[in-house]
Amino acid sequence: MKKSKNWLVFISLVFVVIIRYFSSAPEYQEGDKIRITSRVYTDPVKYDTSQYLRLAGLKVYLPKFPEIYYGNKIVVEGTVREGRLDGAILVEVTESDNFFLGVRQRLISFYQETLPEPFAGLISGVTLGAKGALSNDFWQKVVNTGVAHVVVASGMNVTFVASFLIGVFAIFLSRKKAIPFVILGIILYLFISGFDAPLVRAAIMATIAFSAQETGRLVTAARALVISALVMLIINPNWVTDIGFMLSFVATGSLLLFERKIRKKLEKVPEFLKEGLSTSLAAQIGVTPILFVTFGQFNILSPVINALVLWTVPYIMFLGAIGGLVGLVVPLIGKVILYLSYPFVWWFSSVVTLFNF
Amino acid sequence: MVVFIRRYIIQFLVLLVSIIWLSVFQISDANLHIIACDVGQGDAILVIKGSTQILTDGGPSSKVLECLSSYLPFWDRKIELIVSTHPDADHSTGLVEVLKRYDVDTVLINKLDVGTQVAKALENEVGSSGARVVYPKRGMGIRLGLIYLDILHPPEGFESTKTNDYSIVYILKYGDFEAIMTGDIDQDVSEQLAVNNQIQGVEYIKVPHHGSRNGLTENLLKALEPKIAVISLGKNSYGHPHKEILDMLTNQRIKLLRTDLEGDIEVVTDGDKFWAVD
Repeated sequence: MKKSKNWLVFISLVFVVIIRYFSSAPEYQEGDKIRITSRVYTDPVKYDTSQYLRLAGLKVYLPKFPEIYYGNKIVVEGTVREGRLDGAILVEVTESDNFFLGVRQRLISFYQETLPEPFAGLISGVTLGAKGALSNDFWQKVVNTGVAHVVVASGMNVTFVASFLIGVFAIFLSRKKAIPFVILGIILYLFISGFDAPLVRAAIMATIAFSAQETGRLVTAARALVISALVMLIINPNWVTDIGFMLSFVATGSLLLFERKIRKKLEKVPEFLKEGLSTSLAAQIGVTPILFVTFGQFNILSPVINALVLWTVPYIMFLGAIGGLVGLVVPLIGKVILYLSYPFVWWFSSVVTLFNF
Repeated sequence: MVVFIRRYIIQFLVLLVSIIWLSVFQISDANLHIIACDVGQGDAILVIKGSTQILTDGGPSSKVLECLSSYLPFWDRKIELIVSTHPDADHSTGLVEVLKRYDVDTVLINKLDVGTQVAKALENEVGSSGARVVYPKRGMGIRLGLIYLDILHPPEGFESTKTNDYSIVYILKYGDFEAIMTGDIDQDVSEQLAVNNQIQGVEYIKVPHHGSRNGLTENLLKALEPKIAVISLGKNSYGHPHKEILDMLTNQRIKLLRTDLEGDIEVVTDGDKFWAVD
């Protein structure tokens, strides 16, 4: 009885996804001159003379100035041609008065005023998943070495936020009472760093897992993964073609399937490298074919490089977040805290540069 | 508990020691360094003496930030002087990002209204940075520690239809060493400079206009007699550097260094001798 009910829920979710996908398909046709008014939900990709973003399922290239950021409301005009908006003109850009977006932008500026590149970009990427803050050159290096997942918004960010908050709240609350605050914290983090597919995925999964703990119900990670995928596609059907969305689910799936088995085989690897190596090897199994097909890129040394840099990530994220938030109030102390992250970001970028031959 | 705390203290000390060691290797020496940053087709020239920096133009992209990162210690976030020779995108785009991130004391820039998006972005950024703005005119002198800048161009009340002609030209003096920065001046301005000023005997010239034939002239080169010529350029569709200019330099036996062939070009001087770093 219970089982058949579960299946019913699953099938109806799939139906809703399909209906949503077809009903939300845009109504323009090839050659139409259109005007799009939209909020920007992820940072545009910055090139030397232009910036790129996706709006209403179209590729849009705009001149470099005025610069657009996550959270801005923009009006763009152009002609639909083969999936891109030809001759795109930025008619209007309104800065968001949203408090969280302000915080995000000020954090990134603070990193950039405190440390030079590529370190400031690396901290922005690791802490906030702000890929747009990385220089083109360094971005290319992290892609070549297969560690790009660290500097884009990924489930790892949410995992760190969650475990950090649990650690903090556990000091003066029982675990059960702490859970609502942790979930709230994760949602706040999402508002500050942007609604990139991998973050939303991890946030939904974490919420499912934590609420299950609270209600005492048993939910397998695999089921949480499938449910969050379906819920996300109902919210935003465009995600179905989002590479970050696909990679996030495939990577998480591979982790669930293979990570434990691989870790058992790595007895001789030193403890601080072990987790980095086992998780990246496990994720690679699923992710590599997708990366190879979409980017034509594959680095055989990637698991080694990952193992060498991943241990620095919790330190960078912790010092970046604390240093940034403190820095918004007392810049001098914030700077000192960020300086403490310098050896870690230096190590990270040196490894990436060294292996980028 | 005690063991725990002791472990944290040891980790923290290791961290501090590594910061100190990483810092020690970034402290600059007592010499003056001129670095023509490899920013592609454009100009960005960085001068460093101790903790004083002068950045002349910022290139066509934010690539200039990498150059600043590799030659400045990580804690030095102050640039004493920015010279924006003229508003063309291949010289001023990178300055927008530099002004956002660095604490800039003074900006030397022409008062021009060209109306391009880049020029507007730069103007906004200069305005909000709180930097002191200085408008150049011939005869003006600027001193920064032991470094002297003599401004040769443009003269007061200068008028032209071309933005390149407004390029700020200056001679940098450090001890007996002299270097001339020429922006994108064309032949007319080069000829005027050759006759109008009593300049003679510089060691270093930043060849005007990325080695275009519409830039350096024989007369200016004869007046200056440089030993080292640097051309800042990248892949381009203009045919830079033009053969006429390369021949001119070869004929006068001037050592030529190009950013498109060698990347960043660093020339060092102690105020007496000077040498290029490989």
